[in-house]
Amino acid sequence: MSEVKNGISRRSVLKGAAVGGLGIAAGGSLLAGCGSDGTGALAFGARTVDAGPTAQLKALVAAYTAKTGNEVTYNATESNAFQNNLSQYLQGTPDDAFQWMAGYRMQFFAEQGLLVDLTDVWNEIGSQYADSYKTAATGLDGKQYFVPQSWYPWGMHFRKSMFADLGLSADTVTNWDEFLKMLDGMKKKGLVGFAAGDKGGWEAMGTFDILNARINGYQFHVDLLAGREKWTDAKVLDVFTHWEQLIPYMNPNVLDLEWDGAMQLLLQKKAGSMLMGSWFGGNFKEQSEADYADLSIIPFPEINPEFGRDTVDAPIDGFCVAANGANNAGGADFLKFAGDMEGVQAMLDAKDADGKSIPMTSANKGQDTSTYDAFQKEQLAVMDEATYITQFLDRDTRPDFAGPVVGPAIQSWFKNPKDVNKIVDTLQAQWDALPPLA
Amino acid sequence: MNSTAMGSKKPHRRRAFSRADRTTLTAFVGVPLFFHLLLVWVPAFLTIVLSFTYWSGISISRIKFAGFANYKNIFFDTPAFWEGIQNNIIWLVWFAGIATPIGILLAYQIDRQIRGHKFYETAYYLPVVLSLAVTGIIWNFLLRPDGFVNGLFGRDIDNAISFFGNYDINIYVILTIASWRHIGYIMLLYLAGLKSVDMALREAASLDGATEWQTFKKVIFPAMKPVNVIVIVITIIESLRAFDIVYIIYGSSAGFPILGTLVFQNIAGEGASMKGAAYAVILFVLSIGPIIAYLRTTFKSDVQ
Repeated sequence: MSEVKNGISRRSVLKGAAVGGLGIAAGGSLLAGCGSDGTGALAFGARTVDAGPTAQLKALVAAYTAKTGNEVTYNATESNAFQNNLSQYLQGTPDDAFQWMAGYRMQFFAEQGLLVDLTDVWNEIGSQYADSYKTAATGLDGKQYFVPQSWYPWGMHFRKSMFADLGLSADTVTNWDEFLKMLDGMKKKGLVGFAAGDKGGWEAMGTFDILNARINGYQFHVDLLAGREKWTDAKVLDVFTHWEQLIPYMNPNVLDLEWDGAMQLLLQKKAGSMLMGSWFGGNFKEQSEADYADLSIIPFPEINPEFGRDTVDAPIDGFCVAANGANNAGGADFLKFAGDMEGVQAMLDAKDADGKSIPMTSANKGQDTSTYDAFQKEQLAVMDEATYITQFLDRDTRPDFAGPVVGPAIQSWFKNPKDVNKIVDTLQAQWDALPPLA
Repeated sequence: MNSTAMGSKKPHRRRAFSRADRTTLTAFVGVPLFFHLLLVWVPAFLTIVLSFTYWSGISISRIKFAGFANYKNIFFDTPAFWEGIQNNIIWLVWFAGIATPIGILLAYQIDRQIRGHKFYETAYYLPVVLSLAVTGIIWNFLLRPDGFVNGLFGRDIDNAISFFGNYDINIYVILTIASWRHIGYIMLLYLAGLKSVDMALREAASLDGATEWQTFKKVIFPAMKPVNVIVIVITIIESLRAFDIVYIIYGSSAGFPILGTLVFQNIAGEGASMKGAAYAVILFVLSIGPIIAYLRTTFKSDVQ
């Protein structure tokens, strides 16, 4: 429990810093002869401490301050700690604007009245976004509570050089049989075929998502996660049967590695492929430009011809305004800037410590896709091929089900795949035991 | 609770308190009592109440009475609970059967002033200076797939020895780490106790021709009763409240379920539900039950 206390005390330290920052900022704007539009200084909470994204967000903050004169206090929290504390954070004295995710995870907090209605912001910047993003930003009451920043698809990642060595190409790995043949070829070469990690409890959810969508289709997947279908359905068992066929090609220490461990396997050329969200391209780029240039993504192969490759997990990250923040108007004004192409451009122009650009696929239509690098173009192709877009299992179902129930269930499946019947039984039993949503 | 039970059996003595005495007593007993109730028993009671509700931890107006639903869910539908119980029991058995006896043995040897006892004392005590969380961080650095030990064996992450991910051995890895600290803790407690044992007792025992083991069993150990009680209670509590090391190594995913992490997983973050409160109540009952029982029998025999 000391961890929790540490988290809180660090937060209150940050709070102290924020208050101090506000004081300084207020002094600053007084000297500057008052802020330009009266929205004033604000605090922003970043859900990352990684170098690349931090440089991007700081560039956004700097551009906003330069434009409006409003000082922004930048508070960063490590992603997992941020998520674990979010309920308490939003009910306490949160930063005015903060980084968050679209879908159920946003709707859940919007419904509890903890997020600020951003309909006015959308009225101004909405034309810069495709309708699907507006849908993802919309709460259950039909109002918008979220401004998108970026997206990334989940797909099969591999290294072009290794693919070429194995005599493979994207066109030769389009269905399940070809996929297994590919994995077999990698195994014969002494490689891990399908790099996997699930120590964090969420990583393998992506594999479940895509297998379920490929085998049983988008509608079944969505209905299952919403509780309209049963986990005990033979269709779900079929997902695990297919998944089990991949186990021989995985690294044996799936439960010992988190996502970054699996990524290391691909980075070090010990694994031939990995199912993951493309966000980790930034980590490859930090390693070296050559590694990044070698990285490639294709859609997960077709399993059931009826559904082809029509679905993709493509989570959207972005920003919300906390209702309990000190400056709701300031938070909304900041998000209007962050969502507008002007703010997006500031993030795209940001450079890391080595002066390299930081890859980002923006949700904003204004980002010229012709400026995309090769890997980003492939990501776009993966998106374009899909008819249906899902967020991710832990963004598409109830939070009290995804983390505490599905995560451990998949981990125990990895411990003993033969227990699958028992596991789906308890999944359904625990879904049935959930309290009715208020 | 036990001290009053004990006190009631003693013959009552009458004592007159002056007004100043009473004021002092009220201040010295009342103020700490107030804070104790406010900070310990009120939250404990509220946790018990919450364990009978459905609530996501956001806006109290949405709370709903759930009856025994959370407990029913835990006992009948949550396999992680039984895995957690199993792990906590193994933890307790290991601590009680291996770690604590080793600590006592070390204390006894060091107390006999074997050669280099000062060095051993410091060496074994050193880990106790570190918090459990720091212990977890250190061992995680050593044993994780890209850690020091795997590096030493020249193993890469694809063929690393799976200390934390292999469920046949990981509990023993975790317990070894926890014992690393626990042994030193017990040793120090016991050493303090041994120092206070009257030397005359030992001399008398050796004059009577008792062996070393007989001396320990028949003379020292019974004379150490107050320390023994503390050691037993600490062993039980440390085993049941285990959390830090597991949380540091496995995070909040409950990849290695024990009651402590199950409480956290179900009460922190977005997935918060009062199932977490129910886990906490179960943990509370399990911890306090055996301790009350043990203290009661101990003090009862004292009084007799």
